[in-house]
Amino acid sequence: MNYYLRRFLRVIVTIWAVATFTFALIRLLPGGPLVQLRAQLIRSGASPERVETLIQSYTKIQPDAPIYVQYFDYITSLVQGDLGESISTGRSVGEVVGGALPWTLWIAIATTILVFALAIVWGAIMAYFEGSNFDLASSSASILAASMPFYVLAMLLIIIVGYEFGWFPTRFRIDPNLEAPVFSVAFVGSALYHSVLPIASMVLTGAGLQVLAMRGNSISVLGKDFVTVARLRGLSDRRISITYVARNAILPMYTSMLLSVGWYLGGTVIVEEIFTYRGIGYYMYEGLESRDYPLMMGIFLILTSTLVIGVFVADLTYGLVDPRIQTGDQSESF
Amino acid sequence: MAIEEVDAGSELDERSIVDPAIEIRNAKVTYDEGESYVLDDVSIDLDRNEVLGVVGESGSGKSMFASSLLDSVPDPGVLTGRITYHPRDGEPIEVLDLSKEELRELRWEEISMVFQGAMSSFNPVLKVRTHFEETLEAHDANVAEGMDFARELLSDLYLDPDRVLDAYPHELSGGMTQRALIALSMVLNPEVLVMDEPTAALDLLMQRSILQLLEDLQAKYDISLVFITHDLPLIAALADRMAIMYAFRFVEVAPTQDLVANAAHPYTRMLLNSTPNLDAPLAEMKPIEGQSPAPINLPSGCAFHPRCPLAEEQCMQSEPDYHDVSDRQGARCFRWEAAQAQILLNYEDMLEDRGTSGGDADE
Repeated sequence: MNYYLRRFLRVIVTIWAVATFTFALIRLLPGGPLVQLRAQLIRSGASPERVETLIQSYTKIQPDAPIYVQYFDYITSLVQGDLGESISTGRSVGEVVGGALPWTLWIAIATTILVFALAIVWGAIMAYFEGSNFDLASSSASILAASMPFYVLAMLLIIIVGYEFGWFPTRFRIDPNLEAPVFSVAFVGSALYHSVLPIASMVLTGAGLQVLAMRGNSISVLGKDFVTVARLRGLSDRRISITYVARNAILPMYTSMLLSVGWYLGGTVIVEEIFTYRGIGYYMYEGLESRDYPLMMGIFLILTSTLVIGVFVADLTYGLVDPRIQTGDQSESF
Repeated sequence: MAIEEVDAGSELDERSIVDPAIEIRNAKVTYDEGESYVLDDVSIDLDRNEVLGVVGESGSGKSMFASSLLDSVPDPGVLTGRITYHPRDGEPIEVLDLSKEELRELRWEEISMVFQGAMSSFNPVLKVRTHFEETLEAHDANVAEGMDFARELLSDLYLDPDRVLDAYPHELSGGMTQRALIALSMVLNPEVLVMDEPTAALDLLMQRSILQLLEDLQAKYDISLVFITHDLPLIAALADRMAIMYAFRFVEVAPTQDLVANAAHPYTRMLLNSTPNLDAPLAEMKPIEGQSPAPINLPSGCAFHPRCPLAEEQCMQSEPDYHDVSDRQGARCFRWEAAQAQILLNYEDMLEDRGTSGGDADE
């Protein structure tokens, strides 16, 4: 079977497994979400019949139907893009997620790109000046950064850069006085301005480890025979540092880069709460506090799917970055 | 032969070599600001179009000797002495006086090198073709002509040029990579090729066939070859002359025939005896007891005296210089005559049968 098709089917199977797991969590855990949901609705004074219809509409589950019918209905709704109704916001989960996801993706992707850009450049320079004072200072700073949790830095940034100096906004994803999302310069500018602190708090803490990883990789590549041979062959320093050292040092970081998109997506749950930044992380936290199970499950499914797709992209593109990894069916070797 | 303790030193080579490609005089490599030597006062000539086999144990300074020829001793090592390269036509070049750019041009164009471990000598993310092209470009050579020459070299090495050039290094077998690396090292048609254990990672059959190919290449392209190895019998089949290295200096230099039949240094003789031989019973295989010295705290006098069965007071006191065994053979040993008489080569019978035994040894 075609390699790409096989990989794609694996993605589908993984997401299906996550959806099934979500279904099982809602439906089958004793004293779990469903009981909580029913208790919550009864407490709010709804009639028993009303409770059943509400549960059905929120979770896409008919509690009376046999379990396979329930499961079938749930999966069918998912396939149709229907994630159920959010209890706390009164809107459909799809609507809430759709409005919030782009903001969170921006935070997570920008963080990932900045972390790795910083790590690759800085780590390579440190490796080149291995043993110098610059290297020592940078290593210490990296270890300090890596050992600080991002939410601690986030709060420090709010206090110092936000309140003391007033340089950057400390909450919301956009200036609330601005008109509803239209793609104007003011809109994009305000969006970027508001995302500076959330992104900075994750980049500055996340880059530490990656800088050290890049430094280590570069030093080990610098000691490889092919670098020595390239020097003897008279290649220019520029070519050696880019095609020989940097390219080979980045290879081991490529997978971790795509996986960290998922890691930073998870990180947004806390960061967005700290900055009242209304992305899916923020709604995840809101859902948790108000026991809004359909919303939580919907976001959980979205986060997982994003990670699975990230791994899928890594799988497909790794062969382009490293010729030793074969993607596709050809495995010619002679 | 009369006992002549001539202070021969480097003159040994000057006398015997008419047209040297490279002259090495008093080459020293030091680390730790002169605290430790990894190449100690080495003087030898490389004759034009000859194959010089350099043999020594691990850590005896073989690779340092190879790097010295290209002035590419790894940092922070310091190379001193004189290395003179004689182009086929033109003025002699003092390698150690060259500027960075002149050195860059000399390397690979005139003196080239094949490393131990071909697999790791290629950049894994580039095709073999790119390695050839970038080398040609870096030396301002005509890429089209250069690639034609590369194809010819690859064909000479029994490789399919197109298939190899379009492959990534990991797609080739060990023997193929090694041959591709040899072609890469010769792509600028150098005068001198230095090979540092080029066959160490290969199986025995591949070692032999590469050696055969090298012999053909050397004859076809008129190159001088320095072949560095720890495998004495392997190189004995190819080398015109052999230089035995012990503790960072050469202890014996001789034409291969003379060395095998008539080695004068106890170390050489014991090394020859320690070679496994299928024809000889296992009991006759004699390993050399002890370990070769580290670069710090070299033994006083002759560095080999702690392991030498013939060592006497003199050997511990002073360092022996070259003693002429013949006009082409020299050994750094006070007791070379005793060595020839007392350390019997375990294949001596076979030599006598063939009538090739060195007469001088039987006193």
